[in-house]
Amino acid sequence: MSLDLAAADRAIARGRVLTLLALAGVVAVYVLALQFTPPERLQGLAQKIFYLHVPAAWSGLMAFVLVGITSALFLWLKEPRLDAFAEASAEVGLMFSVIMLTTGPIWGKPIWGTWWTWDARLTFTLFEFLLFCGYFALRSAVREREERAKFSAVVGIMGMLLVPFIHLTVYLFNTTHPQPVVARVDGPALPGVMLRTFLISLGTFTLLYLGFVMQRYGIAIRTAHQEALDA
Amino acid sequence: MPDNGGFMVAAYVVTAVVLGSYAVSLWRRGRS
Amino acid sequence: MSGWRAAVAIAGKDLRIERRSRTALLTASTFAVLIQLVFVFARDTATTTLAMVAPSVLWITMALTSLLALNRAFLLEREHAAMEGILLAPVPRAALFWGKWLGNLAFVALVQLLAFLVWVLFFNVAPSLSLLLVFALTLAAAAGFTAAGTLLAAMTARTRHAELLLPVLLLPFLVPPVFAGAQATMRLLAGRPMDELAGWLRLLVVYDVAFLVLATLLFPIVVDE
Repeated sequence: MSLDLAAADRAIARGRVLTLLALAGVVAVYVLALQFTPPERLQGLAQKIFYLHVPAAWSGLMAFVLVGITSALFLWLKEPRLDAFAEASAEVGLMFSVIMLTTGPIWGKPIWGTWWTWDARLTFTLFEFLLFCGYFALRSAVREREERAKFSAVVGIMGMLLVPFIHLTVYLFNTTHPQPVVARVDGPALPGVMLRTFLISLGTFTLLYLGFVMQRYGIAIRTAHQEALDA
Repeated sequence: MPDNGGFMVAAYVVTAVVLGSYAVSLWRRGRS
Repeated sequence: MSGWRAAVAIAGKDLRIERRSRTALLTASTFAVLIQLVFVFARDTATTTLAMVAPSVLWITMALTSLLALNRAFLLEREHAAMEGILLAPVPRAALFWGKWLGNLAFVALVQLLAFLVWVLFFNVAPSLSLLLVFALTLAAAAGFTAAGTLLAAMTARTRHAELLLPVLLLPFLVPPVFAGAQATMRLLAGRPMDELAGWLRLLVVYDVAFLVLATLLFPIVVDE
């Protein structure tokens, strides 16, 4: 049977180890960013929000893209583990979006002068966030397990197709967002020390995603197993 | 240099709270 | 029965049910008028002229009225458990989707026409050729999001809280066509050159094609047991 309880326990145990490692990494990133990275001259200390905001945005986007991919694979292979992963990744993605959507305005207030600007990337993340809130609303509204997996996979795929359109829409609308400072064709525009802190944070948040998603995946498998027994 | 350290602290605290509470919630839900 | 004829027959059936009861059409049209009234009065008359809000009101009305219309389409079938009957018929599932979609689009288009005429009247929009283009824009937008909406409604209608779930799920999908439509409408009404519209029009067309294709592929998976 593909809903193996022992595998779920293993995923949770491994996820916990990864999460603990990643959380230690977060502490290291805090010390590194706050104590050992020089502040930027024009933006002041608020610039350091960048070291959390951008990696959180990255992990959130990765989480949602993986929901889309596993959703498509689920409809093809009908493998319940893929549905469990999509559910796990969607929840973790929502959590990272919350960080992105709160740290964004906290940075925007001192730099742009307002908490919320209808900036392209912030708006984009807000729409993704709301879309996946709807995703969970749908999940909770469907009782039958197979139907729930099927329906949420369809919404996951539709969401993935929507991403480029929302992206284009908000860009055509306007953007005040800082242009990429790291991923540029002519090399990063960030001074060495800042770049190092940023890359370490990016790696830490990626590890954090993995740890969280593995635990959540194990929990989803357990729940699905219980549901199968109750049915 | 502009004086906006308070915003930095706020963002770092918010991030720590969100990450921490999610980690705790997962830990609780993961107990068999 | 060929796919196309089946699709047209299904759309025709839905529209006939609509014509007999007229409840949905009446409700949706009343709603379309009321929502515009709200916008006329919920503004500062000293600083905001009707012309300033006209494009926004048109598109908000289109979006909300379509939501109402789409909700109706599948709830009706759930009430009479009619979907089970249709699924038994030897009709290709893709044709079933096109039938439901055409029926929904026709219904939405009818309500949109009414809402559009009321809008021209309420907001003193000067009649001109570009007004026809604006209406064509609302139809082009409706084509895409009724495709997404038909697919979503087929799922939400089978859940509890269907009337709450559909708006929450569908509204993000309304964003690209409604943004594009509203932006293009503003430029059309201001008499700006056509090449300023090109980007928005392209977005609308690509959106329509993308979601029609995706919904045609996914709909069979949704309705089959």
